[in-house]
Amino acid sequence: MQFFFFLVSGGLVQSCGHIIPESPVLALGSNFTALCILNESCLDFGNIYANQIIWKIKNRVVPKEQYREINRTVSSVTFNDTSSLATPLTCNILADGQIEQNIYGIAVTIGLPPEKPKNLSCIVHQVSKLTYPMICTWNPGRHTFLDTHFRLKYRWPQDEFPDCIPKDVNNSCTITDVQFFVNLEVWVEAANALGKAESDHLVLDPIEIVKPLPPHNLSVNSGILPTVLKLSWDNRISGAVMQLKFNIRYRTIGDTNWMQVPPEDTASPRTSFSIQGLRPYTEYVFSIRCMKEDGVGYWSDWSEEKTGVTTEDKPSKGPPIWRIIDASDSPAFWTVHLMWKALEPFEANGIILQYEVTVRAKSSLSSPAEKCNVSTTNLTLKLPNGTYEVTLVARNRVGASPPSVLLIPASNSKAPVKNVRTLPKDGKLWVGWTAPNSYVLKYVIEWCLVSNSSDCIIEWQNEPGNVQGTYLKGNIKPFKCYLITVYPLYADGQGSGQSVKAYLQQDRPSKGPTIQTKKVGKAEAVLTWNHLTVDEQNGFIRSYTIFYKTVDGNETAVTVDPSKTEYTLSSLSSDTLYTVRMMAYTDEGGRSGPDFTFTTQKFGKGEIEAIVVPVCLAFLLIVLLGVLFCFNKRDLIKKHIWPIVPDPSKSNIAQWSPQVPAKHNFSSKDQMYPEGSFTDVSVVEIEADDKKSFSEQDLKPFDLLKKEKSTSEGHSSGIGGSSCMSSPRQSVSDSDEGETTQNTSSTVQYSTVVLNGYRDQTPVQVFSRSESTQPLLDSEERSEDHAGGGDSATQRQQYFKQNGGQDETNTDRPCFERTRQITPTNEGDLVGFAQLQISGHGSQPLGLGLEKSTQEAALPDVLQTSIEGQTVRPETVEGNPPSVDEMPKSYLPQTVRQGGYMPQ
Amino acid sequence: MAAADSPSAALRRRDLCSRGIRLAGKMRSDVIDLLDTYVERQGLDASASVAAVEGVPVAAVERWDEQTGTQRLLENLAAYRAFRVLLAQMLEEHREQLGEADTTLGRALAAVLLQVSAFAYHLEELLRLESRGPPSEEGAAPPPAPQLGLFERKLRGLGVLRELAQWAVRSARDLRQLAKPSPGSSSAPSWAESP
Repeated sequence: MQFFFFLVSGGLVQSCGHIIPESPVLALGSNFTALCILNESCLDFGNIYANQIIWKIKNRVVPKEQYREINRTVSSVTFNDTSSLATPLTCNILADGQIEQNIYGIAVTIGLPPEKPKNLSCIVHQVSKLTYPMICTWNPGRHTFLDTHFRLKYRWPQDEFPDCIPKDVNNSCTITDVQFFVNLEVWVEAANALGKAESDHLVLDPIEIVKPLPPHNLSVNSGILPTVLKLSWDNRISGAVMQLKFNIRYRTIGDTNWMQVPPEDTASPRTSFSIQGLRPYTEYVFSIRCMKEDGVGYWSDWSEEKTGVTTEDKPSKGPPIWRIIDASDSPAFWTVHLMWKALEPFEANGIILQYEVTVRAKSSLSSPAEKCNVSTTNLTLKLPNGTYEVTLVARNRVGASPPSVLLIPASNSKAPVKNVRTLPKDGKLWVGWTAPNSYVLKYVIEWCLVSNSSDCIIEWQNEPGNVQGTYLKGNIKPFKCYLITVYPLYADGQGSGQSVKAYLQQDRPSKGPTIQTKKVGKAEAVLTWNHLTVDEQNGFIRSYTIFYKTVDGNETAVTVDPSKTEYTLSSLSSDTLYTVRMMAYTDEGGRSGPDFTFTTQKFGKGEIEAIVVPVCLAFLLIVLLGVLFCFNKRDLIKKHIWPIVPDPSKSNIAQWSPQVPAKHNFSSKDQMYPEGSFTDVSVVEIEADDKKSFSEQDLKPFDLLKKEKSTSEGHSSGIGGSSCMSSPRQSVSDSDEGETTQNTSSTVQYSTVVLNGYRDQTPVQVFSRSESTQPLLDSEERSEDHAGGGDSATQRQQYFKQNGGQDETNTDRPCFERTRQITPTNEGDLVGFAQLQISGHGSQPLGLGLEKSTQEAALPDVLQTSIEGQTVRPETVEGNPPSVDEMPKSYLPQTVRQGGYMPQ
Repeated sequence: MAAADSPSAALRRRDLCSRGIRLAGKMRSDVIDLLDTYVERQGLDASASVAAVEGVPVAAVERWDEQTGTQRLLENLAAYRAFRVLLAQMLEEHREQLGEADTTLGRALAAVLLQVSAFAYHLEELLRLESRGPPSEEGAAPPPAPQLGLFERKLRGLGVLRELAQWAVRSARDLRQLAKPSPGSSSAPSWAESP
């Protein structure tokens, strides 16, 4: 809390003291002493004295060591370094020893005196014909922290001029108008509260520091010569003020580099200049600048640019010419594509109006030269094979070029270049070759981009004969394959072209080869792929690498020569899934193609065959042996497995009723069994135990017949197919109810007996089915007769089999058909047998008569055969003469003997 | 003449003569331009003949080639001192008449005035080198301008400028003559300057 001591005197408020100096401006770093002087009047009023004074900077008390009590009313404070000072500096007093009261305060300003301005320089800018302001600049020096004023002072020796005071800046000033040819003294004065400083004085004639305006109204005029242009201009500074020298620069349109007229040629005052050595028919850009002739002062800025075009001149050289010969159309003629390059503008020297092509055959000098005038840069001619000289001239409005001559020899028989090589360098493709020993006039380098998507469009260039390498002057693209051919041209011929493929820059292939299997085996796989197209290669394919692996195995790599398109992987595991891919490598790296999977086979080639074929052969052999065995034992097999059981219900006896002769239509029966169609015959061989039993067995049916004469027709024996397996004895006993004893051990199971009327008796009834299963025998005697002929213990008997289980009227045909297949050779014999059947079914007299006559005719031979073979066959039975004699004993009209029976 | 004989004095003299000739040439060029501007702005006829104005030194002189160097310098100095006063009067009259409105003519007048002063300084320096020293200006001051009407003042100004142009030509020739090596001075190199 501060209190101010004031003294009220005469209506005015007076402070009780003051500080000297009042608001000082102090140099930074200097020492400073301030005095606080108390008023005498306040001493008595407030009992305050100098020893009570406290100095403060802002609110900070100055250490008392810096105080000095000069007398009882004056206290001083001293600062060795003003940098510790701040505003305000106050003089205070402790009233009553406790209360601090302010007496006075001052503001202290601290700064630096101005430094001497340095580097004063001036330049006179011409801004118009009569106005030459002079701008002077200088370095104002350090910051002073004070308000510092700069003045540019200048004067003539005898005259002073008003100072130039900078506006808004402290380092430059512009004197609006200066006079030349009088030395002007220029300097800068800087001043602030702490002092004043003055730069070095500069004495100069302003004419020596002039930067003039550039010449204007520049114009370019074509001269008489096509290589000269005349440049004219106006100077904007009076010759009375200064003499000028000039710089002239020029360039062609489109070029950024300027050329300059030699300065010594333009070192004198002028307003025009003729520039020589220009190219004809070329547009140039000009610009000019000037300065004081003696070189004292500054160059003006460059003038505005002006263009001018030189006039045309005749072409300076003939166009480079080359040819492509196509001999494919016909062997005797060439299609010659002449092509030439348009002249560069600096060679054409104007607009080429046309080209004159002259083709002269070298072989026949008498033939006239062929001339063509074309406006294009190519010409196609069809010429006979031979040597030609082609001359080409380009013509513009002024004249014709020197001729270009191309010799087209009949054959490129001269020495070719050797060792053609390429090297990418600086973004261009360099081609080098080894020159032949002969003198070469020039070389032609042909090249074209090899691509699948476009034809090889030939580009070419000429090179002089003394070089052995050049850069291709075309748009050579990276990653593209170029076919480069070098031809040496001689004065009298041409060498064949030597080619090389090259890339400006290679890259990895854009894709990898697509691999697939051609053949997969058990332990090997033949892989095949196609070469990458040239567009996909991006470089020279240096190698292929095949990577293959199993599902869980490590990948194996195989490097393959790039010329191959097939490779065989060996040592593979059988029945294993493999994944394979292929990478193609250029010098820059490789790229992989798609994965391909395949599975190796489980068996190798021939393994399956080695197993299957023997097995099959063995099987076939077994089957064959079985068949042979079965064939050999067929009778036995048949006997045991599939015996033929005659069905008695289908016997003729069962259907034949003598009392009812009209029951069956004879004619229809005859149709049913036509002659020769009865073929359904089966044979069952039966063995009889002995002669006796055989006889007994055979006789049994006849007894039954006798007994059952009084019974009703169609009495069933109760046996049929179901009783086939039962013993004959049992069957007979069943039907006979024990009255008839059958003592035979024959294998005959049953038979159907059809009773016919006895020779001199009227048939009593018809048995559709036999009561007995015994085979019916003709008679015992007949059996015995036959038995006597065959003395073997086992005697074979034959049965005629007829299918059972069928209706009587419907069962015949199938049976016949089947039998016919089985025994075709018996057809003739069966005919006779059929006749017997017919007679059985038809009227009795007719049947008997027929039967008798037939039997008599057929039996002798058959019987003989039967005896000899000891086998009783039906046919032999049919033709058995004794049976005819014994017919009355048996009702069987058939020639069944030895117990045989012929079913119906 | 000791000062004139020293090499530095010779160089100084040559430099003064050289730049004096150039200054005279520029002054003539500027005065010609100023005459066009003056005639145009003052509404005068460029072909108007102006009688000799009192107090204006005349450039024409008889037997010019017989004058000595000092004589030439003195006559030139007297003329240009007079022109300096006359041009100052014209500038003052112009400012009184038009204020700051016609800055082009005023600036041109001021520029010519400065050149006249500069040329006078050159002459004084040359006279110093001649160990002659320039005469005081009190005696050379032109008579006070008579009270003239506005048109007469314009014509008088036209006369001043025309005569100044004549003097510019003569001064260049005088200085060129002075720059020629004197017969007795072999050290002075020969040089020629043309405006």
